[in-house]
Amino acid sequence: MNLARRNLFQDKTRLALSVGGVALAVMLILLLNGFLSGMYQQFSAYLDHAPGSVVVAQEGVSNLLGATSLLAAGTADSARKVKGVSEIVPILSQFIILDLHGKKQPAYLVGYDPAIGGGPWRLAEGREPKADEEVVFDSVLARRHGMTLGDRFDIMGREFTVVGLSAGTTSWMTSFLFIRKTAAESLLRAPGATSFLLVSPSDGIALEELRSRLDDLPGSEALLKHEMITNDQKLFARYFSAPIRLMVGIAFLVGTLVVGLVIYTATVERQREYGVLKAIGARNGVLYRVVTTQALIVTSTGSIAGVGLALSAARLIMTLRPQFLVAFEPTAVAWALAIGLAMALLAAFFPARVIAGLVPADVFRR
Amino acid sequence: MLRLAYRNLFQNKVRLVISAGGVALALLLILSLDAIFVGVERQVTAYIDHSGADIFVSQSGVRNMHMASSSLSASAVDEVKAVPGVESVTPILYLTNMIVVGQERNLAYVIGLPPEAVVGGPWRVARGVSIPAAGEAVIDRGIAEKSGMEIGDKVKILGQEFKIAGLSEGTASLVNSVAFISMEDFARMRGNAQAVSFLLVKVRPGESPETIAARIEAKVEGVTAQSRLVFSEQERKVIKDMSTDVVAIMNLVGFLIGLAVIALTVYTATFARRAEYGVLKALGARNGRLYRVVLAQALYSAALGFALGLAFTLLLSVIVPRLGLNLALQVSGASLLKVGSLSLVIAGLSAILPIKQVAGLDPAVVFQRGVK
Repeated sequence: MNLARRNLFQDKTRLALSVGGVALAVMLILLLNGFLSGMYQQFSAYLDHAPGSVVVAQEGVSNLLGATSLLAAGTADSARKVKGVSEIVPILSQFIILDLHGKKQPAYLVGYDPAIGGGPWRLAEGREPKADEEVVFDSVLARRHGMTLGDRFDIMGREFTVVGLSAGTTSWMTSFLFIRKTAAESLLRAPGATSFLLVSPSDGIALEELRSRLDDLPGSEALLKHEMITNDQKLFARYFSAPIRLMVGIAFLVGTLVVGLVIYTATVERQREYGVLKAIGARNGVLYRVVTTQALIVTSTGSIAGVGLALSAARLIMTLRPQFLVAFEPTAVAWALAIGLAMALLAAFFPARVIAGLVPADVFRR
Repeated sequence: MLRLAYRNLFQNKVRLVISAGGVALALLLILSLDAIFVGVERQVTAYIDHSGADIFVSQSGVRNMHMASSSLSASAVDEVKAVPGVESVTPILYLTNMIVVGQERNLAYVIGLPPEAVVGGPWRVARGVSIPAAGEAVIDRGIAEKSGMEIGDKVKILGQEFKIAGLSEGTASLVNSVAFISMEDFARMRGNAQAVSFLLVKVRPGESPETIAARIEAKVEGVTAQSRLVFSEQERKVIKDMSTDVVAIMNLVGFLIGLAVIALTVYTATFARRAEYGVLKALGARNGRLYRVVLAQALYSAALGFALGLAFTLLLSVIVPRLGLNLALQVSGASLLKVGSLSLVIAGLSAILPIKQVAGLDPAVVFQRGVK
C-alpha cells in the first residue's frame, strides 16, 4: 500500500492530470444519467400534478405525450355515470411548435376549464386565462425569450396574450402552455373535442376496479396515472437511451485509458525496483496488488472528484440554462463509483502483465 | 525537431495507443453526437423529402409536421386545385400515435391516404400494395420483421385491427416510423370526415413551387403553403434549435476530456525524456526549439486522435444502423471543421504544462542525478 502510494505520488502533476481525467469521465457519466432522470421528471410534471388518479384516453392511446388522443363525443358523460367516479376533468391537448423570435420551440398545449381544473399547478405571476385569447406561459421559457405578462405572441396563426406565468412546467425539449379548453377546440378546429379525462375515484373504490370499469367505455382506454407516466418515460427512453449509452461507453473507455496510461507509465518507470522486489522473493500476487492499489487510488479519488464536479456542473448548467433539470439519484452515484472501480481493474491489467513478464535477472544484467 | 518529436512519441507504442485512443474517444464524443443529430435531422424529414409533393399546404400558422397538428376544411382541396399552376392535390390525414405490431408498441406517423393518392404514399415498397384499401395498412418492413409479422398479419392502430397489405422501406427512424392506412378508416376513427390535415400539391411542369405556394396563400384563406424544401428546412430547424444547448454542453465536456488526455500523455512523454531534454539544453539547444518539440508532439497526438476519432465515427455510422436501433449517424462538413479546430486548440493548450516542465529543467541537475 505504502509502495503503491509512493510510486503514484512521486509525480504530482501526472497524478493530478490522471485524477482529473477520471473525474471528467465520471462527471460525464453522472451528468448524462442526471440529465436523463431530470428529463423524465420534467416530462411527467403535468401528470404528477394534474387532478385524478385514472386517465381515460382514446382506444389505442397509452401516452400523454407523443400521441394524439381524441375521445368519442359523449365519453365524458358516459364516464360520469360509471360507479366509483367522483370527479372528471376533461382536457384537450396537443404538441405544437411555436416560432419564437426565429427559434422553433416545441410546447405541449393543454386546453382546460379553469373552473374544473387541469391547468397550471403553480403560478409564478399573473392569473389563469379568463378569455379564449389568453394563455398561461411557462415562466422559464418566457424568461429565455424576454416575455412578460401582457406580451402577445402567435399560436397556430392566432394571437394570444400572456396573462400568467407558470412554474415547474418547463423542460429543454418542451414546455407546457395552458389555454381555455374552448380556445384549444377552436385552435385545433375540433369543436367539443376532448383528448383525455382525468378521473378521481370516490372514497372506498380500488383504483384497479375503477380503471377496469372505465376501460369498458366504448372507444376508450383507461390507464392509471403512473402507468401513463411510465409509458411516456419508456417512449422517450427509446429516443435517448441509445445515444446516451454510446456516450457513457465512450466516457468509460476514456477514463480507463487515462488510468491505464498513468499506472502503466509508473510501472515501467519502476521496472527495476519491481525486478529487485521479485529477486528478493516478492511474489507476483504482491506486485499485482501494488499496481491495482495505484489504479484504485487514482480512480477512487477521480470518481469522488467526478461526483463533486458533476454536482457543481449541474448547478451551473441549471443556472445558465434553467430549462435543463439534472437530477442525481443515489443509485446513479453508486453506479458511477462502481464504474470507477471497473475502470481501475481494467486499467491495472496491462501494468500487471508488464510485471508478470519481468525476469529479475534481466534487471540486474541491465 | 519534428523528427525528435515524432520519435519521442512513437518510441513507446503503448503510450501512443493510449494517447491517440484517448483523444480519439474524446473527439468521438463530439463527432458522434453531432452525427446523431444530423442523422435525426435527415430522418425526421424522410416523409416530406420522399413524399413526391412540391408544396405542403397546412392550417394557417402551422409550419411543421413533426409534433404538430393541422386541420383544414375538406373544401380547401377544391380551392387549392383551382389555383393556377397547380396540377394535382392529394389530401392526407395525419397524426402521431403508437401502433401495436405483435408485442411491440412503436410510435408512428399515421397517414390516411385517399385511394387515388398521387403523392404522399410509401416511396419504396418491399412487398405488397402501396396504397392501402379499407381495413389495410402499409407499415415499415423493419418494424414488422422485428415482431415476426408478415403480409396478411394484423396490426393495431388507434385500437383498431388492420391487415398488413404492404411493407415499406426507409420509413423508420430513431424517433418514429410511418404507417399508412386508408383515409376512410382514418376519418372514421377520428370521427370527423369533413377535415383533412395537409394538402400535398404537385405543380405543373415548369412552375416554381415557391411561386405557386405564395399564390395559394394569397388565394385560399386560412392556409399556410410551403414548398417541400422550405417545409423540410422547418422540420430540421426544430431538431437544430432543440439540440443547440445539449450539443454545446457535450462539446465542452468532450473538449475538456480531450484536453486532459493529451495534456497527460504529452506531459508523461516529456517527463520520461527529461534527461534527454536536459542533455540537449546542456549542448546549447534553446528553450524555443525544445518547446517546438513538445508542441509538435501534442499536435501529432491531436492529429492522430482526430483521424482515429473520425474513423471510429464513420465505423459507428456503418455499424449502428445494422444493430436495429434505427439510429443514423451522419458526419457533416461543419462538424469536421469544428472538431478539427478544437483538436488544434486542445494540442496548443495541452502543451503548456510540459513546456513549463522543460523550461524549468536545469541541465546540471540532470547530470548530477545521472541519466536514468
